[in-house]
Amino acid sequence: MKINQLLIATFVGAQFTVTALAGDATTNSTEAAEIEVLKQEIQKLDQKVSEIETQHQAQQPVADSADKQQIQDLDQKVRILSRERELDQDAAATAAKSAPKITLGSGGFGFSSSDSNFVATIHGLIQVDSRTFSQDNHIQGNDSILLRRARPIITGTVYHDFDFNFTPEFGNGTPGAASAATTPSIYDAYINYHYSPWFQIEAGKFKPPVGLEYLQSDTYTLFNERSLVTDLIPGRDVGFELHGDIVGGVVSYAVGIFNGVGDGQKNTSNIGFQNDREFDGRLFLQPFKATSIAALQNFGFGVGGSWGSSSITNTLDLPNTTGGSNPGFYTDGQQQFFAYRSGIVAANSHWRLSPQAYYYYGPLSLLAEYAISDQQVSTNGLTHSADLQNTAWEISGGWVLTGEDATFNGVTPRHVFDPRNGGWGALQVVARYAELNVDKAAFPLFADPTASASGAQAWSLGLNWYLNKNIRVNASYSHTTFTGGGAASATTAPASVSSHPEDVFFTRVQLSF
Amino acid sequence: MKIFLKILLASSLAISASAKEIKLLNVSYDPTRELYTEYNAAFAKYWKAKSGDDVSISQSHGGSGKQAQSVIAGLEADVVTLALSYDIDAISQQAKLLPANWQSRLPNDSTPYTSTIVFLVRKGNPKGIKDWDDLVKKDVSVVVPNPKSSGGARWAYLAAYAYALETYGHDDAKAKDFITKLYKNVPILDSGARGSTITFAQRGIGDVLLAWENEAHLALKEFGDDKFEIVTPPLSILAEPPVAVVDKNAKRHGTTEVATAYLNYLYSDEGQEIAAKNFYRPRNQDIAAKYAANFTQLKLVTVDQEFGGWTKAQATHFADGGVFDQIYQP
Repeated sequence: MKINQLLIATFVGAQFTVTALAGDATTNSTEAAEIEVLKQEIQKLDQKVSEIETQHQAQQPVADSADKQQIQDLDQKVRILSRERELDQDAAATAAKSAPKITLGSGGFGFSSSDSNFVATIHGLIQVDSRTFSQDNHIQGNDSILLRRARPIITGTVYHDFDFNFTPEFGNGTPGAASAATTPSIYDAYINYHYSPWFQIEAGKFKPPVGLEYLQSDTYTLFNERSLVTDLIPGRDVGFELHGDIVGGVVSYAVGIFNGVGDGQKNTSNIGFQNDREFDGRLFLQPFKATSIAALQNFGFGVGGSWGSSSITNTLDLPNTTGGSNPGFYTDGQQQFFAYRSGIVAANSHWRLSPQAYYYYGPLSLLAEYAISDQQVSTNGLTHSADLQNTAWEISGGWVLTGEDATFNGVTPRHVFDPRNGGWGALQVVARYAELNVDKAAFPLFADPTASASGAQAWSLGLNWYLNKNIRVNASYSHTTFTGGGAASATTAPASVSSHPEDVFFTRVQLSF
Repeated sequence: MKIFLKILLASSLAISASAKEIKLLNVSYDPTRELYTEYNAAFAKYWKAKSGDDVSISQSHGGSGKQAQSVIAGLEADVVTLALSYDIDAISQQAKLLPANWQSRLPNDSTPYTSTIVFLVRKGNPKGIKDWDDLVKKDVSVVVPNPKSSGGARWAYLAAYAYALETYGHDDAKAKDFITKLYKNVPILDSGARGSTITFAQRGIGDVLLAWENEAHLALKEFGDDKFEIVTPPLSILAEPPVAVVDKNAKRHGTTEVATAYLNYLYSDEGQEIAAKNFYRPRNQDIAAKYAANFTQLKLVTVDQEFGGWTKAQATHFADGGVFDQIYQP
């Protein structure tokens, strides 16, 4: 192109020169010859320009063809890459359909088969407590830092309708002396078939449907230890239960048959020792649950109960010995304040009744429960028998100072603990009053009045700090006084415990997921 | 008359009340969607008229090898209509869902129709592809599915290999060299025949698609014969896609009778017409003659002739470490 422009300029310049020369009337013959030479030069340049233009046009299709092929090749490469990506995505989507799913979050570590026929989640509960007893009149309480609960909790569902739970306990779950050995044990091991929310069948070891406070998960109780009422409620037992929630939980029912355990006891051997069984049942209503009356939606009330019969040789169905290492009635500080005399046996019928209620509205929580445990007992040899009716009641409540909602299943802070960003979690103040009264007919034949108290009255105050959904810190103070009980000089429980009020300061650090 | 009408009405009601609803699952290979859509409607009508029962047939389509593995893994097929007998043999041997002699239960070794492998090229055939040896030229890009998963791909591979054997005097080394060059020109391997058709026809990749004959015709129909044309090579392979009742599944579902009738009906005049209309070569010679214009005449060699049967062909070429694994590097 530059060559063409140069040639054209030269040609034009030459034309001007010729014109200038031609206009001169007085051109002599020498000038005419010069003009002729210039004309010939111009002709030659003209010819050269034509040749160059012709050559350029001849080369152009070859370059166009090469470019076109290159573009086509590139186009094919791009299409191939795009299609490969498409096929990879299809293959990944197909593989994902059959790949197991894994999740990890505040609710635990979960995994599921691709068809959801096998779903399992690993949860956990760790509670590190401290108990510090004060004003114990030089008789040392069991000051300690303890691993109160340490549980891996494995839950899951098989083929959509069969739930399971397996929970071993590695912490110091058994109240008692400091020297009590921690024996890993199975706390929950059950299968639950849920045909529908209103028809479910559970089999295995789990909490019988009697006490409201006891049914609340260990993760969410307001205080470190449950109240005196739970001393009369049956603990975890092995059995079968039919249960369900009707009308979206407005009515909840449960009826079951179990091996039968003593008051406040749990079945630690996972087996029954008598021919007779215990029937447990509970009906709980939340009549406003499905209404738009927000203030009453979380108001519930009901009644739980049990009925069983004990063989006369059964010594396991009641707290029957002294000495502190065997079952009895326990304080908030987990110290035995009542036990039957050695050799007393449970005989014939044992029934319980527990009217109960709770109310949750915004930051407010209230729970109340009353329990009657009516049991026939006999001296060994059946020389003397009695029908003893022990009672207990409690009322507890809490207020979430930071405004979050309180529920039966705990408090979820709006702002997790993150001081760098101004988050402090949720804070809840809690209080409780409880009493337990032993039937006066228990004394002196079936229980030693100089050792065992005939009644206990406990009040507690506490502060719960929910750092996030998984971490919680508690601090509480509990004061228990006794009616009757041991001499001041007693050195072993229950006498040593019931001889003076119990004051204990609790703390807890809890991890749950 | 009134009594007669009453009896007739009562009988109709009785028949309606007793009419059963039967469900079948046909697990098939990739390109048979259109065939079985039409065939299933025809069979349902036939069965209703014959028995009064309503039958609905669900279809599953995919690469023949993959489909066979799905049935082995538990896909509850009542019948399988796959691309090659080896895949149904696998179901019999690995899952024991049907007897080893399944192929002898229906005419023509249980193959109611046949097919072959042809070339689908861009309109105008810009690369001048006429025969198998054009596929190994350096500037030709070939689209074909993966023989590890697709029955059609295995037929195509064997067709190319058979061409090489015929051309080079049954010299295996030269045939292997030929097939190596061919697969060097394959830029992408779909899992099934339908995927390859999408790659070639919709994504615009490649110069030639090695396709089931019916698939090539369907592509012309769907995308227009102004975009593609079919080139039938002088030699190709006789593809015999078989059908079989999956006995244990059918027995469990209570569908043995209907499943057997379903496959038998493929051999009926109506079944053979539907096959021919969908560009499958019917076994019925009269119907084949009627639809002769749909099918180009060519030399067809068989797997038995060239490779000693499917078991040997599978073991030699498509098993892990076989010839295909040796020659193809993605």
